[in-house]
Amino acid sequence: MAGYNKKAEPAHAKAESHSHAEHLREKHLMLDPLPRGQMNSMVMESMYETSWKFWVVFAILSVIVAYGLFYSWGVMIAEGLGVAGVNRPSYWGIFLVNTVFWIGISHAGTFISAILRVFKAEFRRPFTRAAELMTTFGLVQAGFSVFMHMGRVWLAYWLMPYANQRMLWPNLHSPLTWDLLAITTYLLSSTMYLFLPLIPDLAMARDRSTGWRKTFYKTLALGFRGTEGEWAHLRNAMNIFAFAIIPVMFSVHTIVSWDFAAATRPGWNSSIFGPYFVIGALHSGMGAVIMVLAVVRGTMKHMKYFIRAEHFDGIAKLMLIISMAWAYFFFNDYMVQWYGGDKWTHQLLHFHEAGPMGWMWFAMLIFNIAVPWAVLWNQKWRSTPWIVFIVGFFINVGMWFERYIIIPISLSINRMPFTWRLYEPGIEIPLGIGTLAFFILLYMGASKLIPLIPVWEVEEGQMAHELKQFGRETVVSVSELE
Amino acid sequence: MSNNFSRRDFLKLAGVGAATSAILTGCGPASRYVKREPYMLMPEYNYNGQSTYYATTCRECAAGCGLVVRTSQGRAIKAEGNANNPLNLGKTCARGQATLHGLYNPNRVRGPIKHKRGDRLYETAADPFEDEFKDADSNMNWDDATQTVADALKKYKPSEIAFLMGTTSDHLFDLVADLSTQTGITPPVRFGALSMFESRATLAKAAENLFGESGLPFFDVGGAQVVFSFGANFLETWLSPVSYTRGFAGLREAQKKQRGKLIQFESRMSSTAGKADEWIPIRPGTEALVALAIGRLALEMRGGPLPRAFSDIDPEDAASKSGIKIETLQKLAEMFANSTGALAIPGGAALGQSNGLAVAEAVLTLNAVADNFGKPGGVFFSALAPNQAMYQRPASVKEMQDFTKKLADGKIKVLFVHGVNPVFELPAVLEFKKALDGVEQVISFATFPDETALEADFVFPDHHGLESWGYQRVVTGSAQPVLSGSQPVVSPFYDTRATADVLIAAAQLAGGKFASALPFKDEVEFLQSKVAPLMSEADGFFSAPDINTFMAYFQQYGGWWKTTDARLVPTTADIFNRSLKATEAEFAGEGEFFFVPFVSPTIAEAGANKPWLQELPDPTTTVMWNTWVEINPVTAEELGLVDDDVVKIVSEAGELELPVYRYPAIRPDTIAIPFGQGHTAYGRYAEGRGVNPTDLLGGHFNEAGDLAFAGMKVKIEKTGKKQPLSRLESMMGVYGVGLGEEK
Amino acid sequence: MIRPEEIKMSTEETGKWGMVIDQDICTGCQACVAACAMENNITFVGEKDSGYGRSMHWIRIERFWEGEYPEVKMTPNQPMLCQQCGSATCEPVCPAFATVHSQAEQLNLQVYNRCVGTRYCANNCPYQVRSFNWRDYKRPEPLSNQFNPDVTVRRRGVMEKCTFCIQRIHKAQDTAKSEGREVVDGEFTTACAQACPASAITFGRVDDPESLVSQLARAHGHGVKHLEELGTLPNVTYFKGG
Repeated sequence: MAGYNKKAEPAHAKAESHSHAEHLREKHLMLDPLPRGQMNSMVMESMYETSWKFWVVFAILSVIVAYGLFYSWGVMIAEGLGVAGVNRPSYWGIFLVNTVFWIGISHAGTFISAILRVFKAEFRRPFTRAAELMTTFGLVQAGFSVFMHMGRVWLAYWLMPYANQRMLWPNLHSPLTWDLLAITTYLLSSTMYLFLPLIPDLAMARDRSTGWRKTFYKTLALGFRGTEGEWAHLRNAMNIFAFAIIPVMFSVHTIVSWDFAAATRPGWNSSIFGPYFVIGALHSGMGAVIMVLAVVRGTMKHMKYFIRAEHFDGIAKLMLIISMAWAYFFFNDYMVQWYGGDKWTHQLLHFHEAGPMGWMWFAMLIFNIAVPWAVLWNQKWRSTPWIVFIVGFFINVGMWFERYIIIPISLSINRMPFTWRLYEPGIEIPLGIGTLAFFILLYMGASKLIPLIPVWEVEEGQMAHELKQFGRETVVSVSELE
Repeated sequence: MSNNFSRRDFLKLAGVGAATSAILTGCGPASRYVKREPYMLMPEYNYNGQSTYYATTCRECAAGCGLVVRTSQGRAIKAEGNANNPLNLGKTCARGQATLHGLYNPNRVRGPIKHKRGDRLYETAADPFEDEFKDADSNMNWDDATQTVADALKKYKPSEIAFLMGTTSDHLFDLVADLSTQTGITPPVRFGALSMFESRATLAKAAENLFGESGLPFFDVGGAQVVFSFGANFLETWLSPVSYTRGFAGLREAQKKQRGKLIQFESRMSSTAGKADEWIPIRPGTEALVALAIGRLALEMRGGPLPRAFSDIDPEDAASKSGIKIETLQKLAEMFANSTGALAIPGGAALGQSNGLAVAEAVLTLNAVADNFGKPGGVFFSALAPNQAMYQRPASVKEMQDFTKKLADGKIKVLFVHGVNPVFELPAVLEFKKALDGVEQVISFATFPDETALEADFVFPDHHGLESWGYQRVVTGSAQPVLSGSQPVVSPFYDTRATADVLIAAAQLAGGKFASALPFKDEVEFLQSKVAPLMSEADGFFSAPDINTFMAYFQQYGGWWKTTDARLVPTTADIFNRSLKATEAEFAGEGEFFFVPFVSPTIAEAGANKPWLQELPDPTTTVMWNTWVEINPVTAEELGLVDDDVVKIVSEAGELELPVYRYPAIRPDTIAIPFGQGHTAYGRYAEGRGVNPTDLLGGHFNEAGDLAFAGMKVKIEKTGKKQPLSRLESMMGVYGVGLGEEK
Repeated sequence: MIRPEEIKMSTEETGKWGMVIDQDICTGCQACVAACAMENNITFVGEKDSGYGRSMHWIRIERFWEGEYPEVKMTPNQPMLCQQCGSATCEPVCPAFATVHSQAEQLNLQVYNRCVGTRYCANNCPYQVRSFNWRDYKRPEPLSNQFNPDVTVRRRGVMEKCTFCIQRIHKAQDTAKSEGREVVDGEFTTACAQACPASAITFGRVDDPESLVSQLARAHGHGVKHLEELGTLPNVTYFKGG
């Protein structure tokens, strides 16, 4: 049933069953199998063949990373956080905005690969890897951002519970400690979850490569030969992870939200922040996934075969639903805060809309709600890569704005009006751009080293799918795999 | 008993005894200077990790508050108030606290310097917070320096030698005064910007006119019930702010009596007015009318014949001229008349107007209505300080103008400058800097590289106040006669030398009458000769049979004072029968705005080089590190100005560019600028920061010779530039700027 | 059934050191601010940073305006410093235990060399009285000679705040102990209270009914504790006066 939309078929087309089958095959990857060897070599080619444009972009991004991330960070470590824009009362700024943003991005990977896997959504198969890579690389950026935020980053290890002579432990009362533990857990588990389904593909690549790549893949493939026992173990492990990582994913962003919700601040102390943040994370994450897929499809060889309109359509539908959920949570949060009647909260809500950064509040609502609602209703639009790319971009900007409003803008208003002050970013801008560039750089690098398409998953799906003829009727049948 | 006295107890007692004696005697009798030694070689009275406390006197203004400075291992760590000193009873103001930033200021004159006039005394760099502003090196030794002074004394006729001195320290003034009387050199002239803005000459003159004797009136705010202050900013810098602040706390003391009220009449709400129960934004120049009108209305309410002093005033007329409603005047008069302890204080900008003397007389006479002369909560003459025959006030600006003219005309060949910075402090129209061209030799004893030191041929730096001996007479603020004593709390940090020592040595070198005028071994011997007469005075806080012990106590307690109230009661027999001129002030200049310069309460005249004073928010505007012009928001709107817009203020004497602060508590026809910034030298933290409002002041005086600094009218011109002011307050939170709901 | 009087917050404490601030006589003269800076080695930050909310004052004097000219009034000056809350919101959020509660002195301590600079405590302080070392602000020679040897000099990346001059508390306690007695009320005080020309600030033991702070609190009877509704149990009482 999944990946197949009956309504899309006009009734009068039934007569031409042959062309109908063609049509279905064209539309659905699962129904359009290619020989195994061909598919494998397509994926290998997509890694091997690199145009000069790739290297130009790669070089530019490297320069941006070197300057924006490493040099600027070095300056900030040497000079102190004074080079950034943080002040009293906005003690937290873009660094934490970026942290929350990147953790949000990272949610899409898990959501797509774990939740869709658990619910056996077949259309997920070609892009689970692309999404999981986003999780890992997004978390790397989140880690960078949160360490940048620290006043004395060289002592960051103090936040880890490590054995030391003075028997000093991190404070388990602090949401930041929970946060750190949750993010670390998430990073470790999502990396493993990325790695497990990668093993058969690495083994495939090992068998089809020479030179350093051979060594590389050989090492990573852990001697996977594809025996029945190995497959059984792998499936077991993946099943466990797929189920286990879902609560981790929910917990991470819930705990991130507790950094704010557990604080004694107007506008932050909200019990709905947990699910609100999770849904916000999915909102930006799905937007990011669709952007990545559009880019991958447009730039990499053979990807038009693997990534098709049906995938954009499927993700875009999810985006629309998530956008509605986000709007619901936003309204719920706003309504309850406003109804509470606390004068500082009122001041803050008013400041959000009518303050000097009010444009950002309206832009957030337009980008997060109006844009997806207006565009994604239409099946044709939501199946068009460049359109959903733009929508995804708007959603990501809107979600970044949301975090910006929650962190530095909300911090401007507190219970001591004598200290209210606006936040003006400084070195956060090159550093933020640096993390973005580093994310893209990592992704580009990975696309040349790791099979971006989980070939075995696609093959498995294609094996399970079959087009059957019942008289004139062409019917898709899916056999149970496990 | 001795049986029970164990060795352990003995050691305990001995330890406590040693510590106590170390703290109490402070400087050991053998050492006159504290040496700054490595930790291994500390002075013998220092214990490792133990602080030593020295009593001395604050020199940040002339009030003479006692300090106890905590030192540790030869470094001054913290200035605290001297609880024994009856003037400040252990309290200090912000400037007193920051005196250590003067002592350890990164830009001081490090040794005697022969110097080309106008040359810099330190190298400047781009950023005062990042770069080093290297001090000029000393290029001569003290023997040559002393010889230079001796030669100057010998070379010129006595009438061609002049001393220009600051309002601290009194012992040096006494030394020069002695030198002057015995050798015939020009009597020393004292000046300070604070005394200029306090209009001390006007107060003294008014007292002389009304009471028949000159002196500085003392207002017992603490004992009063209702205080009417006409411009007196006594909680900020006026005369003796620490003592008057204590008085204000007494006025408000809720437990002991009914909470007293303060009514402030001034065109701009100063931080004193900010504490007032009512601020009356009076039209500048009408203070005398209002004071007399209140007096008349109060007397009429009481009934009986109207005395001559109040018979000429028409309250209705005063009301319309001053912009105060007649009902308000009546209400105030009723308050004044019915109070058991009413007090009226003249001061500040009210006296710095063309009719300042009339204002002072009118307000002092208003006290006659309350009949509070010589009574608790009333008007006294300040107790005459010990070792002083009569009240001596610093020069008025008129006198300074005459002095400047003498300099310009070449009548003075050698000028010694100590403790004052006239190039910065005097109004630019007096052209003091240019007048120095007429002087052959200018010798500055400046501790800091200030603007006047820059114009000197020689700079022979005196110690900082905390490295110095001396004493300061408390001219007002305490009921007792007080002589606050100074002693060095640390050894001199640089190659500086006490000016008194330099003068004594130079006098010996010069020989003749100079040598006989100052027959002392050093400054301390001179000090002892001045303190010795106090040994025979009655009612002293301490007494001692010999001068060494007496001096030890003098150092230990930080001075000498009587324990009895010695405030003088003014003679007021005729006060009601004088005819008072109820005049309005005249204003110089073309502009449409009254101009009120006021002394910055935190920076005052000499605080600009102390970084923590710069970082203290102004009490009314919370601005740090800069100068601003206060403009009423309504006026600003009419002129199309917002905060941080740079405007040009034009007076008949000059013009200044500075950013706007929309100040909600100033008359719409008045603008105000704080004094204290705008240095062109004076160290890295002062230089190039803000503007100096004395550049706008014309040479107009009141009848007592004080500068009519508040008697100007100025114009405002837009410049289109912006300069953000550094404020502690939030413009969003306090003024609603940028909240989406403009107030 | 639990009766209301049996319900007691677990975080509740009586308080030990406290302050009473009489806003009616506070003249806003900034002497306390200067005294605090001098006592506690607080750095100055310069014009640009101080105007951008980065000044390091441990105590600041707040004032607002009421009404319009000519009926405008300055609200009573309000010195705002760490309220040394009995149930401080800054404490639980520090991941490194750099912001901790002193059981002995019942004060909020900031352990400078444990601070890693997450600034969570400052965000969570409803009084906004914590200041962060945004840079290594320069104090050129010889200004550093003035450093109080009893107080740590903080470097960049570290949070700091009012300590109720804990170095003075300890010194007084040590002295008293060596003399075999208890600390006497008024034997020592904080730098701000010591300097205040109007004596608007009084410091002492709030758990001693005979101390001057307790007596003042009783005498005024209408003291306000700021943001008490948050349950922070502040130890500074304000009298608005007027």
